[in-house]
Amino acid sequence: MKLTDDPEVEEFRAEFSDFLDAHLPAEAEARERAGSSAHVPEWARRWQRTLFDAGWLLPGQPPEFGGRGATLPQQLAHLEELARRRIYHSFNPQGLGIIAASLITFGTEEQKRRWAVPILRAEITAALGMSEPEAGSDLASLRTRAVPAPDGFVVDGQKIWTSGAHDADVLLTFVRTDPDAPRHRGISALLIPTDTEGVERRPFGSIAAEDDLDFNEVFLTGVRVPRENLVGPLNEGWRVANGSLGHERTLLWLSYAERLEDLLRDSRDTGADQDWYATLRMDLTALRLLGYRQLGEDRDPAEISVLKLLGSEAVQSASLHALEAHGAEGLSHPVRTGPYRHMHHEHFISSWFERYARSFAGTIAGGTSEIQRNIIAERILGLPR
Amino acid sequence: MEFELDEEQRLLRRTVREAIAKVRGRPEAQQWDTYLRLGWLEAPPLELALILEELGYAADPTPFLATATWFAPLTGRLPTGSGTAVFDGAGRYVLDADRADEVAVLTTGGVVVVPGARLAAERVPALDPHLHLAHVDAGHADGAGDLVAEVPDLALLGLAATCVGACRRILDLVLDHVKQREQFGRPLGSFQAVKHKAADMHVAIERARALTHFCALTIAEDDPRRADAAHMAKAAAGECQRLVFRHGLQLFGAMGFTWENELQYYLKRAQACDLLLGSAAVHRKALLVP
Repeated sequence: MKLTDDPEVEEFRAEFSDFLDAHLPAEAEARERAGSSAHVPEWARRWQRTLFDAGWLLPGQPPEFGGRGATLPQQLAHLEELARRRIYHSFNPQGLGIIAASLITFGTEEQKRRWAVPILRAEITAALGMSEPEAGSDLASLRTRAVPAPDGFVVDGQKIWTSGAHDADVLLTFVRTDPDAPRHRGISALLIPTDTEGVERRPFGSIAAEDDLDFNEVFLTGVRVPRENLVGPLNEGWRVANGSLGHERTLLWLSYAERLEDLLRDSRDTGADQDWYATLRMDLTALRLLGYRQLGEDRDPAEISVLKLLGSEAVQSASLHALEAHGAEGLSHPVRTGPYRHMHHEHFISSWFERYARSFAGTIAGGTSEIQRNIIAERILGLPR
Repeated sequence: MEFELDEEQRLLRRTVREAIAKVRGRPEAQQWDTYLRLGWLEAPPLELALILEELGYAADPTPFLATATWFAPLTGRLPTGSGTAVFDGAGRYVLDADRADEVAVLTTGGVVVVPGARLAAERVPALDPHLHLAHVDAGHADGAGDLVAEVPDLALLGLAATCVGACRRILDLVLDHVKQREQFGRPLGSFQAVKHKAADMHVAIERARALTHFCALTIAEDDPRRADAAHMAKAAAGECQRLVFRHGLQLFGAMGFTWENELQYYLKRAQACDLLLGSAAVHRKALLVP
């Protein structure tokens, strides 16, 4: 255990920082609000490609997938540097961090060439078709069916909460391929291009605004999917899903730490009370420390639940305090513009109320706080199911 | 930075745990001699935090905490036997003052070391039966002024680490209980309401422990953040015990409310660690606004 920074990590950070100084496009200041989490403005496509070509998009990956084989602490430094400057490396984080990443792990050579690389180069965007009306945190309950057809599958069913689907070119979709198998065993992962006949996407607004269109309902009716779009082995979709989320989860805590830091930075002159600052600083410091610890070898994956619970609830309570500190002004909509730069659109569109409301995304999405508590109790503390 | 205990530190933790288990229940003097013989008093800050966490876990009755984290940092040396320190002029609620061989008295003029026998120390009955608290007439009534500002970082670290250890023990006792105890035909621990409280206790302990280790690292490296880190550690430990006390006693039900149940020792130790040298609220106030 040591406080001092690893020189190899700091060298890596400095190199990336120099790259950003030299290449960050002027358009990055444009403050263009993205249409959804899969909508990538033209200039941002070019920016993502620049990062890909230089090996700074997903530094943990090999060069052919936009990286440079960086270690986990180096990957963390990369994300920290982006966060510090409030820079997006992609407007399609799920496409990048979950879908392309799982194709690299589970996909065929052809799938990597045809889907993963174009997603990484921002030529196409992707969305994740995981949740269903009857299956949220309980993925094993999903009902969307895929039945074998001569050259592939025919898919029928419905997805919901599919972020960015209406702007996406392809969906990584989890479907039931063996209705008779135990619940976890009969699931497969399929790539479904959104222009396939029978795919209907209906975006709907979030609590932030009626026209804040990110969520979609996706209806799949007699959708024909070729066999070559099956990701991983048939009926092994559970493994793909867990692997996919694993990519996202390892450094997920960092996004909560960023938000806490933003709240700290943005609330400095609001007259919020000392007690609140103290709690915020303690939450932030503890979250970072426990996150760094998670970079160590052989950590229990269930500890991610500690980070998610601590981080998402700290953000929520800090957002509530910030809202209260602003009094009635916190209700005004849209916008309290701060001295924001670069691409962090979520901040300059947010009223204080909106930030608080959005903090519930953290305690609901990716497994609710209640599910995280069950995981901690059962897997870490050994309580009976 | 790296935030995982290394192999040596994990080994130390195991050895400490075993050593404490071995002397548990023996006379205090024997326990104290064992700790001295193992060189624990000379441990550097992070190792000291690990030792203190284990001592808190065992509700240790010896004067180790005050000697290592009150007397030593103020005087820059170890006492001839056991030691403690008086942080305010009135000398109230001084840990182990009734049995310390040497007492460091913090005055506006600096630190004065007085033989324990020369001080009239009167032990105060405390709820924690193993804790020695005493009022002393330190003879330097001018005192040290701002209590929180004058207390060494190591003293705050010591109470925080002890508190975290006691909290961990409370959680372990609760886990044993709810795994075994059946109600309505099921183990208590299978009920979600119980699981969620246990999970919250675990997260609070992890949060406080992380800040404790961070504090120890900043002291070890004399990092400029050390004073702030000490306030954070003490505040987080106090908040942690508040939640762990409440949920722990609640989940034990009526059985936890009895004198015979050992749960009480850890509840009281944890609570005492919060109340001594400023509770969580006091240390939150002392933190800098960035």
